[in-house]
Amino acid sequence: MVDDLISTICPYCGVGCGINLKVNELGQLKSVEPQSNHPISQGKLCDKGWSTAYAVTNKNRLTQPLKRIKNEFFPISWDEALSTIAVELNQILDDSGPKSIGIISSARATNEDNYAAQKFTRTVLKSNNIDHCARICHSPTVAGLKQSLGSGAMTNSASEIFDTDLIMVFGADPTENHSILGGHIMQAHLKGCELVVVDPRKTRLAKLANIHLQLNLGSNIALVNAMLHVIIKEKWYDENFINERCNGFKYLAQHVAQLTPVSVEAITGLKAVDIYQAAKHYSQAKRAMIFYGMGITQYMSGTNNVISLANLALICGHIGKNGTGVNPLRGQNNVQGACDMGCLPNVYPGYQSVIDTNIQTKFSNAWQCDLDPLEGLTSMGMTKAALAGDLHALILFGEDPVVTDPDQNHVKASLKKLDLFVVAELSMTETAKLADIILPAASFAEKDGTFTNCERRVQLVNQALEPLGVAMGDWQWLQALAKKMGSDQLNWKTSEDVFNEMTSLNPSYEAMTYQKLAKNHGLQWPCNNENPTGTRLLHANTFPIGKARLISVNHTDIDEPTDDEYPLSLTTNRLHFHYGCGSMTRNSPLLERETPPGILFINPENANTLNIAHLDAIGVKSRRGYIETRAIITGDVPIGLVSMPYHFKEAPSNQLTNTAQDPVTKMPELKACAVSVIPLPKGVEPKSIQQLLEGD
Amino acid sequence: MMLNHIPDSIEIIDYKDDGKDTRHYRFRLLSKTHHSHWHETQAGQFFMLNVPEVGEAPFTFTEPPNEQNEFSALIRKMASVTSALFDLSKGQIVGARGPFGQGWPHTILKDEYILIVAGGCGLAPLVHLINTLIATTENKKIVLIYGARDEQSQMLIAQQKRWLKTITIYHTLDQVSEDSNFNDGFNLLKGTPLDVLPQALSSFNSLPSKVLLCGPEVMMNSIAQTSIGRGIPETSIYLSLERRMHCAVGLCGHCYLGDQYVCKQGPTFSWQQLQSFRSTA
Amino acid sequence: MNIYLLDDIKKLQLHLTYQYQLHQIVKNNQGQSHWQQISTDQFPTLLHEKAQTSIKDFFFAQQENILVFNGEYFQETLPSPNPFVLFGVQSCDLVAVNYQDKFFKNDPYYQARRKHCLLVGLDCISPCEHGFCPTVNAGPGVRSHTADLILHPLVNQPLEKPQWLLIEGSEKGAMAIKHMTIKGQPLETAHWHYLTQRDLTLKACKQKFSDDSHINIAIEKINNNNVSAVFWQKVAIQCIGCSGCTSLCPTCSCYGTRSIKLPNDNISQERFWDSCLYEGFQKEASFHNPTAEAGKRVERFWRHKFSDGIATEFDRYGCVGCGRCEQTCPGVIGVHSIMKRIANDA
Repeated sequence: MVDDLISTICPYCGVGCGINLKVNELGQLKSVEPQSNHPISQGKLCDKGWSTAYAVTNKNRLTQPLKRIKNEFFPISWDEALSTIAVELNQILDDSGPKSIGIISSARATNEDNYAAQKFTRTVLKSNNIDHCARICHSPTVAGLKQSLGSGAMTNSASEIFDTDLIMVFGADPTENHSILGGHIMQAHLKGCELVVVDPRKTRLAKLANIHLQLNLGSNIALVNAMLHVIIKEKWYDENFINERCNGFKYLAQHVAQLTPVSVEAITGLKAVDIYQAAKHYSQAKRAMIFYGMGITQYMSGTNNVISLANLALICGHIGKNGTGVNPLRGQNNVQGACDMGCLPNVYPGYQSVIDTNIQTKFSNAWQCDLDPLEGLTSMGMTKAALAGDLHALILFGEDPVVTDPDQNHVKASLKKLDLFVVAELSMTETAKLADIILPAASFAEKDGTFTNCERRVQLVNQALEPLGVAMGDWQWLQALAKKMGSDQLNWKTSEDVFNEMTSLNPSYEAMTYQKLAKNHGLQWPCNNENPTGTRLLHANTFPIGKARLISVNHTDIDEPTDDEYPLSLTTNRLHFHYGCGSMTRNSPLLERETPPGILFINPENANTLNIAHLDAIGVKSRRGYIETRAIITGDVPIGLVSMPYHFKEAPSNQLTNTAQDPVTKMPELKACAVSVIPLPKGVEPKSIQQLLEGD
Repeated sequence: MMLNHIPDSIEIIDYKDDGKDTRHYRFRLLSKTHHSHWHETQAGQFFMLNVPEVGEAPFTFTEPPNEQNEFSALIRKMASVTSALFDLSKGQIVGARGPFGQGWPHTILKDEYILIVAGGCGLAPLVHLINTLIATTENKKIVLIYGARDEQSQMLIAQQKRWLKTITIYHTLDQVSEDSNFNDGFNLLKGTPLDVLPQALSSFNSLPSKVLLCGPEVMMNSIAQTSIGRGIPETSIYLSLERRMHCAVGLCGHCYLGDQYVCKQGPTFSWQQLQSFRSTA
Repeated sequence: MNIYLLDDIKKLQLHLTYQYQLHQIVKNNQGQSHWQQISTDQFPTLLHEKAQTSIKDFFFAQQENILVFNGEYFQETLPSPNPFVLFGVQSCDLVAVNYQDKFFKNDPYYQARRKHCLLVGLDCISPCEHGFCPTVNAGPGVRSHTADLILHPLVNQPLEKPQWLLIEGSEKGAMAIKHMTIKGQPLETAHWHYLTQRDLTLKACKQKFSDDSHINIAIEKINNNNVSAVFWQKVAIQCIGCSGCTSLCPTCSCYGTRSIKLPNDNISQERFWDSCLYEGFQKEASFHNPTAEAGKRVERFWRHKFSDGIATEFDRYGCVGCGRCEQTCPGVIGVHSIMKRIANDA
């Protein structure tokens, strides 16, 4: 029986669906329902959204600060926790300077929390050592689209899915990871919109698509360059658009002149005729949209992959008009917001460069303090610095890098070297287990604030429940910590105060207020004095950099090809019923039931050769690690490719994945490495990574 | 009459291993507050075992509750509930609800010529029935085919040895190792129950008048179809199905089969019944 | 059973609050209709709009603990709600509760709540989005055996002077208003010709529903086994197993259970809504799964709503035509979408 129905935003992926929390007369959250009139989700939720009550009210929630003494955690008061942290941080600042402390904020926290985190780093700790997980999902998007177009976000709105003639889904699995958008794509396709899917796996959308290009791992650029070649050769490009809106066409044309479809058949594993057809359909469509995901970004060539997609859209003029554009599908509910808030080592809120002296002055005046003129460390830079003994303290919230980052042994070792490691979390994660102090975080249902979804829509999050135990919102404890450290830089009474300070410094958010967000079901940035009701479509008349840049990029091989010892390629994927490290979704008895804790998808032919039956226990080994899991035999992965979801702490794919990085963004090549698979004896249960490591 | 979803308390009195990861458990009912039909248990019916803090799962009785309120079950370690049970020691208290479902049609099995085919754990739901038939039937012929993956996964061997005095037993193994014992009275063959079916059928004067099946569904389907092909009527073939169950009283929906629920209309069905349900599945 | 004329519905609401906690459909600040307990005497206007979530969770709770184990004994923990009235329930939801009443006839938890509830039905006089209750014999007028009291808004009344028919649907309903007076007078009995007027209004409403012939064609195809396994497999690609349809469907009743530890260290068994569309729904501990194929699960769901076998058992189809699944299905296989595809393509 519902006592109250609180409208808020789903805490899972970047789609930002409207969800209502049903709070009973005892103030408990027992169930949820979709918002029937939400502009994006229109009365729908995915299985993750429907199970939100289990995530928020689970029995594993942390309810008070914990301090580690040796290998055990003991409850302490907030006052003791924050005093301890403050004393140690001040000591480290005195001894080793601002560069020796890092903050990793959370793409799951609100904009207000993220704004507070970067301000804390910049004004209290006095460095730019602030980052968040976009490093391992969409940093190449920001870097790539920024170079090509001048702005690194989805150029369209979700609603334009219904205003286009062709949708090309590139290295993304939206029905699983952004299910409601994936559903929109299915719906548009059923109504007649053409669907082209480029993916090494037979995804759900691939099964429905008009064209599925099942390319080899890591051959995106080779494919796109060949498509560009066809489009240019056949004169299917949009000459007016190129002349008026783009630079660099001549060079690009020269660059791809020899890159015929036939010439990339071997690299891509595709037939020239199929590449030709895809190029034809995409370029000839009246309106076409590209959606892409981590199958583009999580490569050493991630930034260049993004650039090549921009090239494709640009030469066809498929950008800047309703129903055309290039759209990164961002993973976490507020990864767009965390970036917008400047939780990046190189930019202040609104992507304003920290090394630009004018901008430094602007922020320095606003915050009334001196600022570090140099870029800070990325999250992986922090890991390295910790290992090298140069980083002494790390504060991390809402992230579980021990499970989600590549090469987790490396991550673990570096975290263990820290003098002070503070984690703010909802529940005890693998990462939190390594912390010196754990702070109990308030869940999204327990705070007010805003999330920015993948279509740049800033939406209000409304508090439905009292925080569990003494849990606190992130900006609130950051503010308390700043005070303990002797700083009154963070000084707000409400989330709205934080938001208002942020909008005064972030031009894209300039004209937003909580009242306007409430009235309009959120607003899409840029929302400023020229666009007071926000912007549905980016780049309609001009790009932020004036003319877009067509940048010639080359195919690069994946870092670790297969060989005799490691004969199978491993890629990663996600399951629609889990999210991230599973710390929320795995509390649902329904979602947890869907698979064993840890699975590997393998083609029937490979399974047969290896004498593996469906759901048999298997071992998977790469140059970096070994895990045990169970086999799911499916034709959805091609021969020679195995795929593993990364949600399971028992069998984390990141024990295996490669750390080779994109040179621009340091994005690790999570989507491709070489492994070997062996069946375990019949009747043997797969051991969890924890058991395997203890056994060592 | 309102249903009762609450287990009665039972005590683990004893257990002993039987094959790999399998144990005979002996329980004693400590209360009969919530369920009053314990002493009317029929062969082939089941109970829900509740391991507090872990969950519930269905198991069949190998021996129904006796006057001392003791009953037995053969339990194989599979997942969370059984693993947790295996970690408990004698004297500890767990819960049980039951008996549930339709058992074997024992009243029409007296004085019949019966072929029984069981695979793996599928022998457990037949133990009580075979014991009853041996004890109560006068003019009988019973032939049992028991298939298992390998020697380690065979179960109830001691029990079967006692049956050997009265009934013929064929053993099949998917994998036969060199030291497999061919000389303890069982007719051992490498293969599956389907492979010895012709031989077993021809050991009856004409045809068996009843065929009872329990084991993997693929095995039961193939045996049933072959038997029908040999002229055994669909109404004379009975089988027991396994399904995921939560409530055991036809409410939770998990064990659906067409428009029916295995916990209520089953778990034993005649082949004919099953075909009509499957057609609505 | 008696019928009365009512000028001021607030009088009825007020009267019922003497005996019952009042629940009614209201809109939240985002314009969403939902059931809410009304605690003041500022009674909201009666909304002619179904709530997105049906009333089934008033009886079949979304999550509830059914027992307590103290280490020695297991004890039943039945809910004991105060008497409550659901005021203004549409016919589709009432028919569904009637269906659930049969299904959960012997379930102590369902019945413990149900027996404390008074249902006040509200006739729909215009079709709702996605609704097709007339096609499945579940509306738009309230079926007399499904509500304790029925309200019918009389048409042709001036806006500022609305008038209602109040129809007794059960003994319990009659008892609830037995002592009701307005300005010291007993309720005004209505002439039977008002019932004729009601019939005409409902008939006119039925006419306004859009063409739902695809539903009937598809029902026939499903029951004649004219829908192939290949068809189900194909549409099931679109099922992402979100559980939206089963959560919103007023006749879905599947549940799972798990053992949980209570704050006082006692153990309980929790039961919670489940969905037959999940891959794990029938998966056994051995991993054997009779419905591992999505096609089989999707087929099962729709058979459960439209099979003649179910109809025989419950005197009606499992579907009550509320259309909620059409709105909530991200995979575009809600009731209209799928029945159209069955009618046209299967």
